[in-house]
Amino acid sequence: MSRRLLLAALLLAAPAAAQSDLRTTLAGYAHRVQLLEDQDAIENLQASFGYYFDKGLWDQAAALFSARGSFEYGQRGVYVGQERVRRAMLMYGPQGPAAGHLNNHMQLQAVIVVAPDGRTATGRWQGMVMLGRAGDNGIWGVGVYENEYVKEGRAWRIAKLHFYPTMFTDYDLGPAKSAYRMEGPSALFPPDRPPTYVYRAFPGNFVPPFGYRHPVTGKPIEPLPQSPDSVLGQQPGTPPPAAPPANPQFERARPQTGVQR
Amino acid sequence: MKALLAAAALLAAPALAQGGADRLAALDRRITRLEDLNQIERLQRSYGYFVDKGQWAQLADLFTDDATLEIGGKGLFVGKARVLAYMQLSFGPDGAKEGSLINHMQFQTVPDVSPDGTEGWIRSRAFVMANGGWGLPLYENGYRKVDGVWKISRLTGPFTMYADWSGWGKNATPNTWPDKFGPPPDLPPTNVYLTYPAYYIIPFHYPNPVTGKPFRPDRGEVGAYAAPPGTREQVEGLKLGRWADGTQPIAEPPRP
Repeated sequence: MSRRLLLAALLLAAPAAAQSDLRTTLAGYAHRVQLLEDQDAIENLQASFGYYFDKGLWDQAAALFSARGSFEYGQRGVYVGQERVRRAMLMYGPQGPAAGHLNNHMQLQAVIVVAPDGRTATGRWQGMVMLGRAGDNGIWGVGVYENEYVKEGRAWRIAKLHFYPTMFTDYDLGPAKSAYRMEGPSALFPPDRPPTYVYRAFPGNFVPPFGYRHPVTGKPIEPLPQSPDSVLGQQPGTPPPAAPPANPQFERARPQTGVQR
Repeated sequence: MKALLAAAALLAAPALAQGGADRLAALDRRITRLEDLNQIERLQRSYGYFVDKGQWAQLADLFTDDATLEIGGKGLFVGKARVLAYMQLSFGPDGAKEGSLINHMQFQTVPDVSPDGTEGWIRSRAFVMANGGWGLPLYENGYRKVDGVWKISRLTGPFTMYADWSGWGKNATPNTWPDKFGPPPDLPPTNVYLTYPAYYIIPFHYPNPVTGKPFRPDRGEVGAYAAPPGTREQVEGLKLGRWADGTQPIAEPPRP
């Protein structure tokens, strides 16, 4: 039975006093189902980003972002706006599948939390990476995504994609013998903002902050003891370098409801 | 419209209004079940993110006060405080350590919830990517809803395979044992078994999703597969290297 029909039938059957209770109950159920559907849509959105990114389909990948969405990968800095994001992705290879080029960025271990109002959401993902160039040895990588999403009209979009790679290593040697450094900001196509956090990949061990609350205590997941780092000089238990103000682009995107073009 | 009127007229009868209330309650249960499955997955995935970065206090907060934890062949730790002690005394104080990579990526979850919605289970795996090499723990965990909040009530993480970075074709690390490292367990291992290249099949908490029939590995053979089940090598392997009590040595043999 459709929800509307059930509602109509129940309203007719119930005494007037019970009718508003029924409406409230059904609205509550509809909202909970909506949040589940939102979570599902976001899971597919992020998975699709991965499938596009793997194959150099930058146009498709960039189209998943909100008009003022941001993209940040490692220490390359933050690119803001769909067109800037699309061009920034060209630093990872040409548009379209390239011969002898493996760029797999798997999107795994999702913890998606949709805000109670159903307009925004956060997602933490485990990012396993397999890179390759024909003739070169393969590269293993791993990192964490801490993303934000915004619902524009009926569609969820990426408001902030932040990948924190934490290790890149040679396929055969492994991290005990090989650790690749991350790229810094491009001189050819500089980012709109510097990296949100200054950190280094393995043998550094940066803990990307959590965008969601602890599933049992309901409190923010902090303090988050960081690695002492012989290069950056952090001490155990100190917070990461001063957090920047909340992403102003995202803050602006929050209250907007219409689809941005 | 005709159908709507008919339905409404039928439901206008008090007896059928009760039927409507039952359907509403059933709908509530179905939505709650989906929310519960989500929450159990979030717990398990958060557990992984906390292990990755040595965030033991946050990790311990995922557990019930009376939770048990058993990982590899190390034995049972009983209670949330002992879960914390196991992590901190075995792997160092809270915080990610420079030069250390201990990613325990949480994949392939099969969560379930009891019909009354108070208990849950998961079968899932960790894919370990560490500076020391690779690892494959499985999980068959239990969860409990306490005052509306899901927590881990039992973590059971038997190992399938551990290898160094030279790969599992060249190298296999044996299962752990109670005094391999860290604090001694509160109780001995619930099961003694071998890891790759031997086999251990932890029982499934759920039946085959298509046939609906439970699958129970033979208890007599659990932990003793030195070759694929059903092969002659495996049958002979069951007789080899066993102590009188039927267990297999996993470290130093017990001394009389």
